[in-house]
Amino acid sequence: MQKNWQKLKLDVALRERFLLREKVTDSVRAFFKSHAFHEVETPLLVARPGAEPYLNLFETTLQLPDGLAKQGYLLTSPEYALKKLLAADFGSIFEICKTFRNQESLGGTHNPEFTILEFYHANANYLDVMDDFEQMMLSICQTLGLDAKHFVYQGRVFDLRSPYLRFSIAELFAKYLGLNADELLDVVALRSKATALGYDLSGLDALSTELAWEELYNQLFLNEIEPKLAEFAQPVIVYDYPAPQAALARKKASDPRFAERFEVYLAGMELGNAFGELIDPIEQKKRLEADLELRRELGKKDQPIDYDFIAALEAGLPECSGMAVGMDRLVMLFADVANIDEVLLFPASQLFD
Amino acid sequence: MSTIKAGNIKKGIYILYKEQPHFVLKTQFVSPGKGSAFTRVKMRDMRNGSTLEFNFKSHDNIEELDVETKEMQFLYHDGNDIVFMDPRTYEQMTVPGHVLGDKSMMLTSEIKVYLTIYEERVIGVVLPPKVRMTVTDAQDAIAGDRQTAGKKPVTMESGLIVQAPLFIRTGDTLLIDTETADYVSRVND
Repeated sequence: MQKNWQKLKLDVALRERFLLREKVTDSVRAFFKSHAFHEVETPLLVARPGAEPYLNLFETTLQLPDGLAKQGYLLTSPEYALKKLLAADFGSIFEICKTFRNQESLGGTHNPEFTILEFYHANANYLDVMDDFEQMMLSICQTLGLDAKHFVYQGRVFDLRSPYLRFSIAELFAKYLGLNADELLDVVALRSKATALGYDLSGLDALSTELAWEELYNQLFLNEIEPKLAEFAQPVIVYDYPAPQAALARKKASDPRFAERFEVYLAGMELGNAFGELIDPIEQKKRLEADLELRRELGKKDQPIDYDFIAALEAGLPECSGMAVGMDRLVMLFADVANIDEVLLFPASQLFD
Repeated sequence: MSTIKAGNIKKGIYILYKEQPHFVLKTQFVSPGKGSAFTRVKMRDMRNGSTLEFNFKSHDNIEELDVETKEMQFLYHDGNDIVFMDPRTYEQMTVPGHVLGDKSMMLTSEIKVYLTIYEERVIGVVLPPKVRMTVTDAQDAIAGDRQTAGKKPVTMESGLIVQAPLFIRTGDTLLIDTETADYVSRVND
């Protein structure tokens, strides 16, 4: 198979597409700097990666000259380091860096090494961060000379103007599955819905109630709701996730069964994930310990809890909200391609062939 | 039949989904952000040829179907059906047209294909990667049409229309990619 650098040599027009990444990245940087965010750099090689229980890590070993060896990991998200800087009163900050996730497929919308934009808006709530994202997208359109009202992706026209369509998880479960908020949080109600839809649920009996709920919830969302979001001719913000689906997010004051988390979808592709950040150290420690339990239940290796992160919360974080955006997927949108390998100069599928 | 984990479903295999054979067209890892991993499978329902997607939990048990393949020769179209013959035993088999879908346009006189058989029923047809076909109609290209950029539509013996270079004439033999239905090259005999 031809490598991307070979294709680039044969087809000069392709260079335009690959150079689009530079323009998008420049535009994102300019947007945040003009809104008083500082750009920071944090390590990719860490001792305590603090990953979600289901994510698989790249493990490595740090070897010191005296023969001492320490377990190291490649980062899955720069969240902990950035929150420590928030505790150090840096104000609003952002980082554009590589992150790593193991045991995911190559190509499509995934690459094991990908570029993430993570930004934290100090003294702001998650509604402010929705606005930040929408304004950032408009700013990129402007840089690229695109009409945000008629944005073309894969033969379809989308209106990228603010505000996007916004649906809470409870609204979506009501709209597409006829389940109310109480039912969507209830394992028995989800199970009878999935049974009625003809799902094979034979694996559920071996699981704890929490895990069984999570699997049902995710499978119903992925099969019955997510494909519907692709039908809208606008980006869609899905917000207020069930609390167990948001380990680092604050609970809603009006209904603590749900947490301040949102995701943005366009043309069926998930572009980013955001939280109204949990800043309570006691609650956070409890949730990380619960995640550790879950890793054990799933038969995964223990992850050391980053107590330095808890200490940062104890030192005091400003009220803040933050978002992680897949930069490669953003570039895919503006380059109008459906495969991430077409916006990576050296995709993993061509390295590990 | 053998049981595999959904995470190990590969493109090109046959699986049982809702008790019906399905051909796997594409798989993709899906992570819902928080929660266990899923495998998104795009598959073709072998009963009616329709395609669908389903997200399986990666550790779900899935039945992979053991299918038999048989080399057969194309004979003729019979209404919505297509008739093939085993060139060794002369045994004939009738296959519903929807099993081939658009691929039926790739069938040329006496072409040999592999039929995929499950429980004595033909559920798929594997074509050679490229086929030779004769051009039955090639008009002269219209000059100055920038849209088509050096290509023109030509009609092949099966009725298939492909975009071919301007120098292609009626009676030429072309090599056609059966996967994409694209022109590959002209064959000089």
